[in-house]
Amino acid sequence: MHPEITRIQSMLGGEGYVADREIATAVYLSMSLRKPLLIEGAAGVGKTEVAKVMASALNTELIRLQCYEGLDATTALYEWNYQKQLLHIRLTEASERTVEQREHEIFGEPFLLKRPLLEAITRERAPVLLLDEIDQVDLEFEAFLLEVLSDFQVSIPEIGTIRATAIPHVVLTSNRTRELGDALRRRCLYLWIDYPTFEKELQIVTAKVPGVSAELAAQVAGFMQLVRQAKLEKTPGIAEAIDWGAALMALHRDHLDRATVEETLGVLFKSQEDARTVRTQWLELWLRGLERLRAEPRPWTQATLERVAADGALRR
Amino acid sequence: MSPLTRSGDLAANVVGFSRLLRRRGIPAGPRESADALRALAAVDLLDRRETFLTLRAVLVDSREHFDRFAQAFDEFWGAPEEDATFGSNEPAQRGDAGPNGEDTEGPLRQRAIVEEPTVDQPEASEGGPEGTDDLPAYSPADVLTRKDFSALSAQDLEDMAALVAQIARRVATRMSRRMRAARRAHAMDMRRTVRHSLRRGGEIMELLRRRRRIQKSQVVLLCDVSGSMDLYSRFLVQFVYALQHAVSRIETFVFSTSLTRVTDALSEVELRRALDQVARTVPNWSGGTKIGASLRQFLDGYGRALLRERTVVIIISDGWDTGEVEVLAAAMRELNRRSARVVWLNPLLGGAGYEPLCQGMRVALPHVDVFAPAHNLESLRRLERHLALAR
Repeated sequence: MHPEITRIQSMLGGEGYVADREIATAVYLSMSLRKPLLIEGAAGVGKTEVAKVMASALNTELIRLQCYEGLDATTALYEWNYQKQLLHIRLTEASERTVEQREHEIFGEPFLLKRPLLEAITRERAPVLLLDEIDQVDLEFEAFLLEVLSDFQVSIPEIGTIRATAIPHVVLTSNRTRELGDALRRRCLYLWIDYPTFEKELQIVTAKVPGVSAELAAQVAGFMQLVRQAKLEKTPGIAEAIDWGAALMALHRDHLDRATVEETLGVLFKSQEDARTVRTQWLELWLRGLERLRAEPRPWTQATLERVAADGALRR
Repeated sequence: MSPLTRSGDLAANVVGFSRLLRRRGIPAGPRESADALRALAAVDLLDRRETFLTLRAVLVDSREHFDRFAQAFDEFWGAPEEDATFGSNEPAQRGDAGPNGEDTEGPLRQRAIVEEPTVDQPEASEGGPEGTDDLPAYSPADVLTRKDFSALSAQDLEDMAALVAQIARRVATRMSRRMRAARRAHAMDMRRTVRHSLRRGGEIMELLRRRRRIQKSQVVLLCDVSGSMDLYSRFLVQFVYALQHAVSRIETFVFSTSLTRVTDALSEVELRRALDQVARTVPNWSGGTKIGASLRQFLDGYGRALLRERTVVIIISDGWDTGEVEVLAAAMRELNRRSARVVWLNPLLGGAGYEPLCQGMRVALPHVDVFAPAHNLESLRRLERHLALAR
């Protein structure tokens, strides 16, 4: 493996992020080619985290633009500080300056409010720019974004063109609620983050849930693998697994049993619908699967889990 | 086939591969190809999995195309070698979870005495600090890394030269990065800070820091260029030259019956010419080398200037000495005493079952800190850890 990739892997690891090779390679390439990184994957697999740990590993700032439907260029790019402009106008009322001069003044940089995109390209040191849930924005904004990401410059009519001082490291995440346009996709490197394997999730739970015992961590990670076999509205991700582990710790549980699982189901399944389906259709199967898993020799692996799941225990 | 050996032209292959992808319905255009080429320049081409992940990140832009891509990749670049005798510690499926436990830290911890030859033998769980155990089970480029230099065809030789340079660059990057990382680790120097503040009436205006002095090692290369050794020496010289900025200074000498300094031949072209010239002036009988006399010549002529406590001396020779054994033994003893480490690279050590039987090698060995093979690229790559000196 390229030493830089290994380094990035351990850098991410140092930030508490368990990165497999695919992630480390993509992050490395995005940094060395200076291309935006588009990360897709189901909710809760740690897409946003990549940008966060990238920023702290690079020891640089994270600038985040949370995308939503209706997000427009002014919110994303810049805005004039109207209050300040007004105040300035008031204060200079008595001055000798002409209206043109005063107008010129208030459309200068001191009155500019930088929004994330402008912020990101005017930093001395290249920040990490996270465009979170990019699939939420409309086509119009996507086109605008493409322009910014191509040239890393922005024109503000009153001021002129602002060129990036340092090209930011751009990370885009998408939950695939909408297909992104080809042009934007092709502008980016692509990374797909899958639900974690048993081994990876075990590592994450162990790292992220303080004080968790090896046994409980293994049971949680194993149970999550069973849970993800089910067709649900919202399959619980890594974040849920970590929360669950923390909840179990708070309840002083050191292993999983029926009562414990039933008690804490709310951490994993957040919609009413899912919770009901789980109770009526899946819970029995999972508990049976857990029993079987317990009988397996340690340490468990992804293969163990696949065997248990294929065993019929989970086929309704 | 591998990117490096298909036809030797990586660019053409990337374009060809993109074309195949397009035929399979994956929209990979010229810009993607260009990016792919840039990306490949930044990763380890010898590593099949890494090459795969890199090309996928650049050329594919949707999950839906992953399978098609994987298929096309195997088809175009060749399926992974099933023969898992070495380095197949990188399963090619999803599930290689987490950091693969490769220890990235730590330069040389202990002194290797005799390094295991790597050819003809499975790479079980080689405990090298890094770099060696991530060798892929992959492609002729990989075979090339393990191929004895002397078994190379003319085409191989050219590929090999490129590989040598590539690997050396990477090793150099790693070595100098390690230096940078260490350099950052400087502590506050309170004493100086306070003293400094006195001049300003006790106000601390400036935090002074202590900087750990990083000393790079100095390397002296002594290359046997007689007869069969010529080829090995060339690669070694080329390799070490590419490490230039990671070590503070490299002095290179070639010898057969006598010693010549070639350090000033700085460019590669010049270097090649110098080596050619030396080789021409050398009477080329088999094994006709005066190692002892050449080393003595080095000690007397350059020892005072070049040998100090941070000097690593690398000798590459098969140990066939036609001079007097006592001269060699004495020279080796002195060399060992006056330097930090003596590394003897012997290409023959790469052959299975080689025993250092020839007399020259036998008398030299007690004075050698590291005895290692140097018959192929991989063994050169391992040199890195012998170059770094513990503080």
